[in-house]
Amino acid sequence: MARFIIRRLLGMLLVLFAVSVIVFAIFNVIPNGAPENRMAGKQSTPQQIEAIRREWGFDQSVLTQYVKTMEKLLTGKNFISYNQQRPVYDELKAGLPRTVSLAIGAAILWLVAGVALGVYSALRAGSKADFAINVLAIIGISVPVFWLGALVNHYLGYKLGWFPNGGYVPISEGGLWEWAYHLFMPWTVLSILFIGVYSRVLRSTILDTLDEDFVRTARAKGLSERRVVTHHVLRTSLAPIVTLWGLDFALVVTGGAILTETVFDIQGIGSYYADSVGQLDVPPVMAVTMLGAVVIVVVNTLVDIAYAALDPRVRLS
Amino acid sequence: MRRTPLRLASTLAAAALLGLAGCGGDDSEDSGGDTAGKTGGTATAYYTSFPDYLDPALTYTAEGWQAMWTVYTPLVTYAHVEGVEGAKLIPGLAEALPEVSDDGKTYTLKLRDGLTYSDGTQVKASDAEHAIKRVLNLESGGSGFFQGIEGAEDYLEAGKASADISGIETDDATGEITYKLVEPDGTFPFALSMLFAAPVPSDTPFSNQTKNPPPGVGAFKITEVDGTRGFTMAKNAEFPEIEGVPAAKLDTLEVTVVKEARRQGQDILDNKVDYIVDPPIGEQLREIRTAAKDRFSEHTTLSTYFMFLNTREAPFDKKEVRQAVNYGLNKPALARLFSGLLAPSCNFLPPEMQGYEKLEPCPYGDPNAEPDLAKARQLIKDAGAEGAKVTVWGNDEDETREVTTAFADQLSAIGLDAKPRIVSGEVYFSTIGNEKTKAQAGFTNWFGDFPHPANFLFLMDGNSIQPTNNVNFSNVDDPEINDTLAEIGQNPDLAAVASQYAALDKRVVEEAYIAPYGNRKLTLVTSDRMAFDDIVWHPLFLADFSTFALKE
Amino acid sequence: MAIVALAAGAPLYAEHVANTTPERNNLTGKIVVDGETRDVVSLDGIPVGPTWQREYLLGADANGRDVAVRLLYAARNSLFIGLTAALITTLLGIALGLLAGYYRGATDWVISRAMDVLWAVPVLLLGVALGVALTLGGLKIGPLEIRGGSLWIPALIIGVVSVVYLARPLRGEVLRLREQEFVEAARAQGASGPRIMVSEILPNILTTVLVFFPLLVANAVLLEAALSFLGAGVQEPAPSWGLMIGSGIKVLITQPALTIAPGVMLVLSVLSLNVVGEAVREAINPRARVRLEQ
Repeated sequence: MARFIIRRLLGMLLVLFAVSVIVFAIFNVIPNGAPENRMAGKQSTPQQIEAIRREWGFDQSVLTQYVKTMEKLLTGKNFISYNQQRPVYDELKAGLPRTVSLAIGAAILWLVAGVALGVYSALRAGSKADFAINVLAIIGISVPVFWLGALVNHYLGYKLGWFPNGGYVPISEGGLWEWAYHLFMPWTVLSILFIGVYSRVLRSTILDTLDEDFVRTARAKGLSERRVVTHHVLRTSLAPIVTLWGLDFALVVTGGAILTETVFDIQGIGSYYADSVGQLDVPPVMAVTMLGAVVIVVVNTLVDIAYAALDPRVRLS
Repeated sequence: MRRTPLRLASTLAAAALLGLAGCGGDDSEDSGGDTAGKTGGTATAYYTSFPDYLDPALTYTAEGWQAMWTVYTPLVTYAHVEGVEGAKLIPGLAEALPEVSDDGKTYTLKLRDGLTYSDGTQVKASDAEHAIKRVLNLESGGSGFFQGIEGAEDYLEAGKASADISGIETDDATGEITYKLVEPDGTFPFALSMLFAAPVPSDTPFSNQTKNPPPGVGAFKITEVDGTRGFTMAKNAEFPEIEGVPAAKLDTLEVTVVKEARRQGQDILDNKVDYIVDPPIGEQLREIRTAAKDRFSEHTTLSTYFMFLNTREAPFDKKEVRQAVNYGLNKPALARLFSGLLAPSCNFLPPEMQGYEKLEPCPYGDPNAEPDLAKARQLIKDAGAEGAKVTVWGNDEDETREVTTAFADQLSAIGLDAKPRIVSGEVYFSTIGNEKTKAQAGFTNWFGDFPHPANFLFLMDGNSIQPTNNVNFSNVDDPEINDTLAEIGQNPDLAAVASQYAALDKRVVEEAYIAPYGNRKLTLVTSDRMAFDDIVWHPLFLADFSTFALKE
Repeated sequence: MAIVALAAGAPLYAEHVANTTPERNNLTGKIVVDGETRDVVSLDGIPVGPTWQREYLLGADANGRDVAVRLLYAARNSLFIGLTAALITTLLGIALGLLAGYYRGATDWVISRAMDVLWAVPVLLLGVALGVALTLGGLKIGPLEIRGGSLWIPALIIGVVSVVYLARPLRGEVLRLREQEFVEAARAQGASGPRIMVSEILPNILTTVLVFFPLLVANAVLLEAALSFLGAGVQEPAPSWGLMIGSGIKVLITQPALTIAPGVMLVLSVLSLNVVGEAVREAINPRARVRLEQ
């Protein structure tokens, strides 16, 4: 077991390293214009540009630059953006609560709704209700999040005034109610995709499980249908869902909600990333990407280790 | 040029420098002052994006300047009035306008006595040199304006913050400040009027102070900066009386960043916010024009919008092709893309500035009428440029994308094979300013840094071409222009050389080095809480925060 | 369900109906609506709304271009990118899945870690980064050069980024298949590794591929829309639904059609693709749990 864990950990570090190299390469090796030109501003002299080049180390080899950037990223010292030289970690700290607020609310919503709908449609398999839920689910996964968000924001927020017109209110400023009120629409919009996915997956998982031997045994033993469902079927079916949920949550919380954040003007780390990429501002891009990668890879590795602990066959592969 | 912010906004209304008659084109209401605003109270404002910097040595965008002008008064500044008069230089922290030596290379000023910053510290003459050092050391966008000072280049090269700039001499005891230039430069007093040169305490660090702006001498002080989400300005109790520079009326002005234009427009209509910097768009603009017309006005600015035509790249190396573009450019069409906030023009220089003479008749047709496409097509055919591939560059900010698409379409209509190419706003200017890009044509505009034609014609000067961060996008290298500019640029008496500048303007247009189409207009719109008529729209710094007041 | 699938195929051939190019601006033109002459784009920049006539059926956009026409051409672009990307994903996915699953050991370890790397960065973040970088500078690999504005760039990016969705399940399948008897038999007969992969294993995983394919296209179309919306996908003046939604949002107040129409088209297309995917899955393997795992 220990060997397995060590191997996975090593793999994890390697992956993180590879991610950092790839992201850095994207912006430095692919031709895209020297950053010192952008930073010097519109009306600048060659001396200014040279000065910036020297100060930021753009005149050094790509390898040296990579090492220096990673050093700044890992220590946090002097880690500032190209554009307006703002400390990256300050921006991340400011944006994180917003993204986390968005992610947590949406994640709880889609888990609860997804499971409820999945269970319901599984138990009523073949009925009209099941069909309806299935159709809604498929529509749910076909709708682009940003389009739905923009329309919802416009009609419910701007036109009808039922909800605020986007924006984010920290709990410290507006209290719990304002905070939730502003996030209600983003939560709903972001969840729709996942609800569709989860309900369908859970439905088919449950249906499969219902046929499994141990369920038949339980029924044969005379247990009530309800008990069979809740105790045996659900527990087994929920396991993959929960893992999935963990991974999806990790995805959203580390910037995967870029579209929702943009449309609802939440200014979390997703929009920070989008803005920085558009400006070819490498330090923030590296920071957000690495943050995301770390969270995802760690969660992933933990899940793998957990499975291995439970199922010996996995360890040997 | 000051960078235009994400959603355009700030404009520098060009104003004539020294007493040019007539201020036309300004639809602002008369500052009658019958609704006298009261002193005190808090007002709120929306910016579409956080200013580039809240550091006087670094800020170089219109919104940055608009806010900071009332916080940092330089040695020389402008009168806080509208129109032509507002473009006149008046003494700021200095007792009088600078004395210029006969050879035009030495400028002397004396600091007023007893000035204090917003935190109570005394203002010293050496603070003026410290400010310039910061500008150079921090590689500010404004460095270029001060590199003509003796010793400035050495300072820049040495790279040490504490080094001395030999060309600036200050005496704290007498308050005298002397600037020695390498060459005479008629625009230097204007450079001194920029926020870059505003004195700041000598212990202000050599780093971006946006999170904690240094104290200044101004109507307001910045008391709180909330990341990139907003900032607060409060009335500066330490502000002394300086003639021509008013104190603040409001107690506080809270600025919040709201990216969505719709929200801005709706909130100003509903009186939920007191002032928005950027013009409202689309239907909201229409509604505001009618429903809120007593708190709305439009103003032309010191800006010129044009398409650059790279004279080094085919097909624009041929004058006939460039002229064809000018004949074929549909200016009224482009004006619609700015929601009507564009005054069509065929000059390169903006109006209401000394050195501007309206071209009558326009060599390529009336800018308010439909273009002469037949003539344009003929010129293209004769020049053998039919079907020539052209990439028209533009960026993704606001109407620029649509304007660029329209350009490409108009070029195709006259016989070229044009396609637009949109890049991110942040990288746009450094991309087209890089000679490796070989950009043939594209969108650009120029907002004057100060009301002087040299600030615009600099773009047409062969000597300003550089391989990267070039701003002479057309790569104009015309000996007649270069020589004339070099000669009259040294003359501090603008009135004497105004007509020569006008002649250069005419030449640029006739040679079709660019395809100009108009000057941008901006709007002033407030809530009904504000004493609208009291607000002064300054030609350079736009809506003057120190004249903001709530109604009684 | 089949009906929906057929209906969605309409956009493909409907573009022949268009009577003007999607790029032609028309800022100062006028049209007659219900007997009244109106500006296509008003003096203060507001374009005309749906006219329900042949010209400007759904109105004009800010540059005076016909929205309905652009929608049809956008359909062509979006579907091209969707299909191409899905094909790229399929080819790469099959190759990587086969190699990793069959050879195992070091090859598998490397490929699996590579998949991990791709998976570690949220798809959208990676797509945006690549999109911005490549659109700006274009792509140059040896003699192959693709210009920044070409449609191949988003197709390539989406195709590569989505490989994980297919490679992992396929790898699992191959792992399972290689232990089967017919593979043993082929090996005993002296067939080489590549031979076995292609002639024995490949046909057996094709059903999985077939089931996945419509889902891959659906995913690619949505991803392209998202990238174009963020400015990292299809570039002006080429029309794309995502791009149109992006610019439409700016004028939602006056011209909701500019935003609603492309969105509806997107939903219909993706929906029909998902439905087709469902149908294929039902037909081939009703019991299989097929889903694009995040």
